Amino acid sequence: MNTFLRKNLVLLITIAVLTGLFAAAAQGMEKKDFVITLLRGLSVGSLTFLVASGFSLIFGLLDVLNLAHGTLFMIGAYIGWTVFVRPDTFVDLLTPFALILCGFALRELYPLVSGAWLGSARIRRFLPWILILVSFLLLSYILPRYPVASWNVEDYGLSPISYAFNADQGNRLPSPVVTFDKIPPILAIGGLLLASLIGAFGLSLFGGEGQQKPRLTWKSFVGAGILLLVAVIGLVFNDGLTNFMLKLDSNWLFLLSILVATLSGAGLGALMESVLIRPLYSRPIYQLMLTLGMSAIGIEMVRSIWGRPEFVMPKPSFFDGTGEGCPATTFADWWSHHCSTILLLDGRVRVYNEIFIPLVGLVVLIAVWMLLQRTRLGMVIRAGVQDREMVEALGINVRRVFTMVFALGVGLAALGGILAAPSMGLSNAMGETLFLNALIALAIGGLTNYPGAALGSVLVGLIQQFIIKYGQIGIPIPFTDIIFKPTPPLVPASTVLLMVIILLILPNGLLGKKE
Amino acid sequence: MEYILDVQNIHTFIGQYHILQGVDVRVPKGSIVALLGRNGAGKTTTLKSILGLTPPREGRVTYEGRDVQGMRSFDIAALGIGFVPEHRAIFRDLTVEENLKIAERVKGDYLRKRDFIYELFPDLKRLIALPGTSLSGGQQQMLAIARALVADNRLLLIDEPSEGLAPVIIEHMMSAIRQLSKESTVILVEQNFLVASQLAEYYVIIEEGRSVKSGAMKELVNDKAAIHRYLGAA
Repeated sequence: MNTFLRKNLVLLITIAVLTGLFAAAAQGMEKKDFVITLLRGLSVGSLTFLVASGFSLIFGLLDVLNLAHGTLFMIGAYIGWTVFVRPDTFVDLLTPFALILCGFALRELYPLVSGAWLGSARIRRFLPWILILVSFLLLSYILPRYPVASWNVEDYGLSPISYAFNADQGNRLPSPVVTFDKIPPILAIGGLLLASLIGAFGLSLFGGEGQQKPRLTWKSFVGAGILLLVAVIGLVFNDGLTNFMLKLDSNWLFLLSILVATLSGAGLGALMESVLIRPLYSRPIYQLMLTLGMSAIGIEMVRSIWGRPEFVMPKPSFFDGTGEGCPATTFADWWSHHCSTILLLDGRVRVYNEIFIPLVGLVVLIAVWMLLQRTRLGMVIRAGVQDREMVEALGINVRRVFTMVFALGVGLAALGGILAAPSMGLSNAMGETLFLNALIALAIGGLTNYPGAALGSVLVGLIQQFIIKYGQIGIPIPFTDIIFKPTPPLVPASTVLLMVIILLILPNGLLGKKE
Repeated sequence: MEYILDVQNIHTFIGQYHILQGVDVRVPKGSIVALLGRNGAGKTTTLKSILGLTPPREGRVTYEGRDVQGMRSFDIAALGIGFVPEHRAIFRDLTVEENLKIAERVKGDYLRKRDFIYELFPDLKRLIALPGTSLSGGQQQMLAIARALVADNRLLLIDEPSEGLAPVIIEHMMSAIRQLSKESTVILVEQNFLVASQLAEYYVIIEEGRSVKSGAMKELVNDKAAIHRYLGAA
C-alpha cells in the first residue's frame, strides 16, 4: 500500500485538487444549476469520449494519428440524418452501395487470380492503374445516372434544411419519384458490379507481394452473397421498403439510423485502413498528410452533398413529448409522457441531451471495456498496443486486428456523430470542435489509456460547461467586490489550460503509463 | 540427418545497414543449436530473419521442407515456431494467464499444455492471476519460455535466456530447456558460453554478420584457440 501511495502521490494530489475545485464550483451555484451543468458536462464528455476512445485505440495499436477522426464523426451524423429524415433516399442508395462493396468482399479471390496469369513485371506495374481507371470511368458514367430520390442543395424548398425543418414539425415533405430513365437497370446493375470487381482487383494488386495464398472456403463468398442479396432486395422491393420505413415509428427509425451510421462508419474505417493507410505504415509523416487530406476531402464532400448551411435533426418521439404532463416531475411520470424535459431539483433537464447521451456513453464505455478485457480480440489489442512484433511472432495476424480496430474506432466516432445530431444539429464544423476536445481529453487522460480517455473526456466536458455557467452567474473574487464573468472565448481556453497544467505535473497524462 | 530448419546464405538489411551478410544455419531435428558470437554480431537478427520479422533480402530459409521466404511473419510462426525474445517481451497489461492464453493457436491449447508448463515452471502456477508487470526477471523469463510452449511449436527460438539472471535461476532455466528439448528442437542465442556449451549439441559462430564456424559443441569446447578467437572467452 505504501509503495502504491508513493508511486501515485502526484496523481492523487492532482485528483484531490480537481475534486476540491469541483466542490468549490458546486458551492458557488444553486443546486438546480449545478445538476444541469453537471449533466451537460457529462453529455459533452460522453460525445468527446466516443471520439477520443476510438482515436486512442487506433493510435495505441496502429501508431496512426487519424486526423480525419473528427470528420468521420461528422459524416456519421450526416449518414444517420439521411436514414432518419430521408428513408427513401437511404433505400435507393442500398443497391448501388451494396454492389460497389461486393467486389471488396471477394478480396480473397484476387491473389489466386493474380497468381495464376499475371507473370511479367511490366504488366504488374501498369495493370492496377489501368484497372482502377476503368473502374473509375465506369462509376462516373453510371452513378450520376442512377436514380436516387434525393434533395437539392440549390433549391431551398427541396434542400436538407427544408426536409429537416418539416420533419421536425412532424410532417414529411413528399418524396420525389425517380425511375430508371437515364440508364437501363441491367446496364446500371451490371456496370456497378463490374466496376466494383475491377476496382477491387486493381487495388489488391498493390503491395500484394509475399502474400500467402488464402485458402478459399465457403466463408470467402458469404460477404459478397449477403451484399448481393441486399442489392437485389433494395432494387426489387424498393417501393415497399420505402413505404415501410416512412411509416416506421420514429424511435425504431432512430435506432436504425444509429445502426446504419455506426456500421457505415466502421465500414468506412475498414476501407480507409486497408486501402489508404496500410501502404504507409512505415511512413508516419505521409500518414499524417493522408489523414489530414482525408479530413479536408470529407468536409468538402459533405458540403457538396448536404450543403453548407446547418440544419436540425428531429428527436425521436421517445424523447420529444410536450404538452400535458410535461415537463415530467418524476421518471415514472416521464416514462408515461415521454416528455422532452424533466424537472430535477426544480431545474429543467433535457432528457435526450442530458440523460440519454451520457447513458449511451456509459454503455459504450462498459461495452468496449468488456471487449478489451474479456475477449481474445481485446487481449490481442492490449498486447499489440505494447509490442506488435511479439504478437506477430506468436502467429497472430496483427494486420487483420489493425483493420478491425480501425473499423471499431471510426464506428465509435460515427456513433458519436449520430447521437450528437439531435442535440447539436448538423454542421460541417461539428467534427472539428469535438475532435479538438477529444485531443485535449486524451492529453489529459493519457494518450493510449482507455480509462484515461474516459476520465479526460468527462473532465473536459465538465470544465467547459461549468465555465459557461459561471459566464452567466459570475464568480465573486474573495475580499473584493469584483464579480468575474468568464467570456465565451475562455471556454476552449480553459480546457487547454487544464491540459497544460496537468501535463506539467504528469507528463504522461493522469493515467498514462511512463514510457 | 534430418534438418528441421535450413538457413542458406541469408542477407538481411535493417534500414540501410547490411546486418547479415551470409549466414548459414542447419538445425538437425530434435537437437539444441547454439548461435554464438560477440555483441552485435547478428545473432538476434538471425532469429528474427528466420521468423520474417526482419525479412532477409537474399538467401533461403526452409522450415520442415517448406520455403518460408517472403511469407508474412505470423504465417511463418503459425507453421510451428515459438519465439522467446531478448528482454522477454512479457505483455505488461495482461495477466500471467492471459500472457499464456494469447499464444493459443488452436482453442484449448492452453488447457492442453498447462500441466506440462507447470511441471517445468512450478512457480508460474501461483503467479497466474498477477499482472505481467509484477514478475521478477527470472519469472518473466520462465513465462516467456512457457508462452512459446503453449502452441504446438516444433522449433523454439530462444534469445539470451540467462541474461541478467541469478546463477540459481540460470540452473533452473537450463534444466527446463533440457527438458523441453525432448519435445521440440531449440535454437539458442547465448552470450554465456558456459551455459551454451552445457546445453547445446551443435553451434554456429556468427561474426560481423557472417557464419564463420559451425559443428558439434563437443569439438568446440576443446578448441581453446577458436573460443578465444571468436568469443573472447577462455
